[in-house]
Amino acid sequence: MAETILKLDKVTKVYPNGTVANRDINMEFEKGEIHSIVGENGAGKSTLMKMIFGIEAPSSGTITYKGQETHFASSMDAIKAGIGMVHQHFMLIPSFSIVDNIILGDEPKNGIFIDRKEAIRKTQEVSDKYNFELDVTAKVSTLSVAKRQKVEILKTLYREAELIILDEPTSVLTPQETEQLFVQLRSLQAQGHTILFISHKLEEVKKISDRISVIRNGVSKGTYRNDELTMEQLTNLIIGRDLENDLDEFKTNEDFHNEKALIVENLSMERNGKPALNNVSFAVKKGEILGIAGVEGNGQVDLVRCITGLEKIKYDGKIIINNTDTTGMNIKARRDLKMAYIPEDRMGDGTAGKLPISDNIISTYYTRDDVNSGMFMDSKAIDKISDDLIKTFAVKTSSNKTAVGSLSGGNIQKVVVAREYNTKPTFMIAEQPTHGIDIGSAEFVHHKLIEMRNAGAGILLVSADLNEVIDLSDRVIVMFDGEIAGYFPDANDINESNLGMYMLGAKKQTAEEIGGALND
Amino acid sequence: MTDRSEKKLNLSITNPTVFEAVKMIIALLIAFVIMFGVLCLISDNPVHAFVTILTGPFAKRRYFGAVIESFIPYAFAGLAAGILFKSGAFNLGAEGIYIISGVAVAAVACTAVTTSHFLHPILCILAAAAVGGVLMIIPSFLKAKFGTNEMVVSLMLNSIYSGIAMHLIRKYLLTKTTSTIGSRDYLKTAKIGYIFEPLRISPCLVLLIVCTIILYLVMYKTRLGYQIRLAGANPKFAEYSGISAFKLSIATAAIAGILAGTGSACQLLTQSSFYQPDKTAVGIGFSGMLLAMLGRNNPIGIVIASFLIKYLEQGANVLYFSDTSVPSEITAIIEGIVILLISSQYFLRGLREKKLLQEGLGKNAR
Amino acid sequence: MLGNIFSSLFKLSFLLTVLRMATPILFASIAAFVTASAGVANIAVESIMTFGALAGILGSYATGNVWAGVAIGLVVGAGTALLIAFFSMRLGADPILIGIALNTFADSLSIFFLYLATGEKGTSASLLTPTLGSVDIPGIKSIPVLGEILSGQYILTYVCWFLLIVLFIMIYKTPLGMRMRACGLNADAAKTAGINVGRIRVFSLVLSGLFAALGGMYLSLNSIHLFSKGMVSGLGWMGIAANGIANGSYGMLLLSALLFAVFRGISIVFSQSAVFPVDLVRAVPYFAVFFFLTISSIISYLRIKSGKVEEQ
Repeated sequence: MAETILKLDKVTKVYPNGTVANRDINMEFEKGEIHSIVGENGAGKSTLMKMIFGIEAPSSGTITYKGQETHFASSMDAIKAGIGMVHQHFMLIPSFSIVDNIILGDEPKNGIFIDRKEAIRKTQEVSDKYNFELDVTAKVSTLSVAKRQKVEILKTLYREAELIILDEPTSVLTPQETEQLFVQLRSLQAQGHTILFISHKLEEVKKISDRISVIRNGVSKGTYRNDELTMEQLTNLIIGRDLENDLDEFKTNEDFHNEKALIVENLSMERNGKPALNNVSFAVKKGEILGIAGVEGNGQVDLVRCITGLEKIKYDGKIIINNTDTTGMNIKARRDLKMAYIPEDRMGDGTAGKLPISDNIISTYYTRDDVNSGMFMDSKAIDKISDDLIKTFAVKTSSNKTAVGSLSGGNIQKVVVAREYNTKPTFMIAEQPTHGIDIGSAEFVHHKLIEMRNAGAGILLVSADLNEVIDLSDRVIVMFDGEIAGYFPDANDINESNLGMYMLGAKKQTAEEIGGALND
Repeated sequence: MTDRSEKKLNLSITNPTVFEAVKMIIALLIAFVIMFGVLCLISDNPVHAFVTILTGPFAKRRYFGAVIESFIPYAFAGLAAGILFKSGAFNLGAEGIYIISGVAVAAVACTAVTTSHFLHPILCILAAAAVGGVLMIIPSFLKAKFGTNEMVVSLMLNSIYSGIAMHLIRKYLLTKTTSTIGSRDYLKTAKIGYIFEPLRISPCLVLLIVCTIILYLVMYKTRLGYQIRLAGANPKFAEYSGISAFKLSIATAAIAGILAGTGSACQLLTQSSFYQPDKTAVGIGFSGMLLAMLGRNNPIGIVIASFLIKYLEQGANVLYFSDTSVPSEITAIIEGIVILLISSQYFLRGLREKKLLQEGLGKNAR
Repeated sequence: MLGNIFSSLFKLSFLLTVLRMATPILFASIAAFVTASAGVANIAVESIMTFGALAGILGSYATGNVWAGVAIGLVVGAGTALLIAFFSMRLGADPILIGIALNTFADSLSIFFLYLATGEKGTSASLLTPTLGSVDIPGIKSIPVLGEILSGQYILTYVCWFLLIVLFIMIYKTPLGMRMRACGLNADAAKTAGINVGRIRVFSLVLSGLFAALGGMYLSLNSIHLFSKGMVSGLGWMGIAANGIANGSYGMLLLSALLFAVFRGISIVFSQSAVFPVDLVRAVPYFAVFFFLTISSIISYLRIKSGKVEEQ
């Protein structure tokens, strides 16, 4: 029997706003294993990790590390005890060098000063020991995403972590980079480290894990040896029912005469003196979903900002929404062309958390006649519209006066989608529309998008979730380094690893092939 | 959860409005306790001092009248700051507006533009409102267009306006009789009289009430108010929703400037017979910001807060007649403590959270 | 006449005036900079300077020792900073609102205490207090020009110069400074590296309070040795403006502070002649801050618009 390094006993976490993130979680982790924790987005994996790492304190229950009950006051205590964590969103300071990022919080000293020589030597030594192939004096801002992740792992090793937690480490990686990461993780395992791997991607979990623990709705559904579980069993444990069926069966295909909801022609833009978008051309037809796949940070955000009119930097090229050239138009003018937009950052851009649902749910059409009566806004009509949308979109709330910020992520997203849906758009941008929300809400959002597509809206779907792009889209383009690297006229014919080659920049189609994105 | 409790009036502390009210009351109580403590330290007769501050204005009718008269310009300043804060703008320019639009008031009031007792004050107010409305835009314009730090800009402009006001009065309106910098006396036609003299109720009070009601309707019932609240709650969301931050901030600043100018005119035409730029209207614009905070940026709340603070100050003034050991600035202590406490999100949060926590545990134990 | 005034701008005495004018602005600037680099805004610099100035006077009057007064002023500065930290970080109040409130209260509160101590509401002139005065440095004093600049300055001016160097070393060369900058650049990253972001920020606020208090005491404890209502007159805000223009660069911070000091000097030289309207001349330093702050924001706006730099 292997030695137990970490043990959770009836760990429960209730947040001050009343959300129960984890309830009575029991789990054991063995030294030297790769142990995956799986669950849907919002199942409570991240909260659990935060408690192990000392960022949050459990509301009740105990965490035992190396045989001792722990009460970490902060991540500092966890780090000292030998636990390291690689966060989903990198915790790096781009303007610092790799060395500075790594020594931060545990700096070698020479008197009162930082001993830079020693820092570089020690960092390079650890990097070389684990074959990271990094020049530790380089600035982090110059590194690729995969390299930044290496820096994160290096940071835990520098602090001599024995237990390393990786929170959704592959969400920003291409399939090829994921392979490399797995090689690295196995080599860490071989050197005696325990790896805690958090993911919602089952194939990867099956590939890398020794054992797998499942969390659903904040509750533990048990720990299993990888080889005693089939994919189907695992799926059932995670979502409690069969996976969402292929969405194609909900699609109807009426003829919208090849009308274009959006045409982007030769779009180019510079940011920070570097090209952010380079000669991007494509079109979204009415009654279709065009998916944009790609690793985060390859120009998708810039593209969306340009199309919506939120970008302040000048761009070259043309953006035509519902047959109108939008050059010089702000977001209001573009929305008036029947454009709707589900933003990626639902709390930052998509809602005002302090304001009630009724204020949030009309923000993009508050000037419309049906919410106004003469000089004043019609609060009765607004209440009626809010209540109807709350009902249609199954938003869980006690009234339309509840502050949006106190709802769960999935319900906030439903408010956003309900609002954009109610603008009755003919062109819609859906940016990471289900990122970080529960599976029920995600499914709901998917069905609403398809409903709008069937009714003739053109939808531009931007998502880092490959499955979402492939399942939902009719056609797919891949972006790499600010350019369209590949175009796939039929989403049903896509091979995932082939798509990965384009996402990574290993493959690029000819201009003629890519031209289909605009002309098909 | 959509359930039957939907229609019931929620008077529990979990209701945000009830919670805010409870917070305000407790903050006031704490402030009074601390004020009493301070009085014990500095006064020989703290109980008398305390009671006088709280009831002094009722001692004589003219004391109470002084409260009614003097709070009006402050309330206008509060309204001006409130609409700016509500929109998320930290334009602190009201102070300068009070001073520079005072020059406009003095200029019109010293000129025989009309012989009408009715029209002359109105022209003074319009001149002040116009100057205020235009000049208040400068910091907000720079912020909206270039991202300039509006706080620093507006404060620098306050000092610049003060200099300009002194210069203009010295050069064009200087009286020959006083040693300090002051304008000539206003013409008699420009003075604002009383509607009900014993309580010093002037048309300015009517003007304030009308402005407050209009502002309340604008803030909570119109599209402009909706935009202001949205932008104040989350500017990025307002931008995303297609609201032009630029136009909105100009409109908000203009309204605030008009309010401040109007308040300045009320101050000059009721509280003085000639204008001294370094005295007559100094400090009101700054106080307005505190009053806006006290009134939680709600127009009606601001007017109530202004009245209460002026009431307390009058109480402190009354006390000063009998007990010179207590400076009237003691009211600043109350104001400060209440502002600090009610603007603290977590103050008393524990109370509310316990309740929510219980509900949360019950709700999820399915 | 006009020529005389302008030529006086190129004399050594003008440089000395500028140096004198610069000290409080430099104190205010580092007070703003030190919190900004740790990722918090302290916009209460102006009020802390006021409190420091008054506490320094009252403290040295009460103890009869000017250094004890300085110590008391420092305690008050740090205490005010801690108050801001407590309300903004523990009780979740908006630090900007707290700052605005404090700045607005500073006058009445200082008058309150001044009245308790002196029975007057204008100045502390009735209190006879010792002053800090200036220091002659024997060797350097005799060197022409340089001697006049480097020797004979107020003690607090030397303290200021010394702190400018110490602060630079602390922020850019020590672990503590690196942690502070990390908190300012990416607080989440700092937190996960095990840094107690809250503690670092409280520390930076306290430092800021100490610097601002010194700036205030420079005004009250030097030659004039009195506190008067409104004596800080926007110097704290000049520091905040300098920090805004600097945008993270220490060199630019000092340059901006010196630039503002030059305009304070100009204002003083010009107001001594009757050529220019005195009221307008007094507003010159404020106009300079307004002007340069606006220009610097227009420049960064254009750079962002052309895609050259990332939006902050």
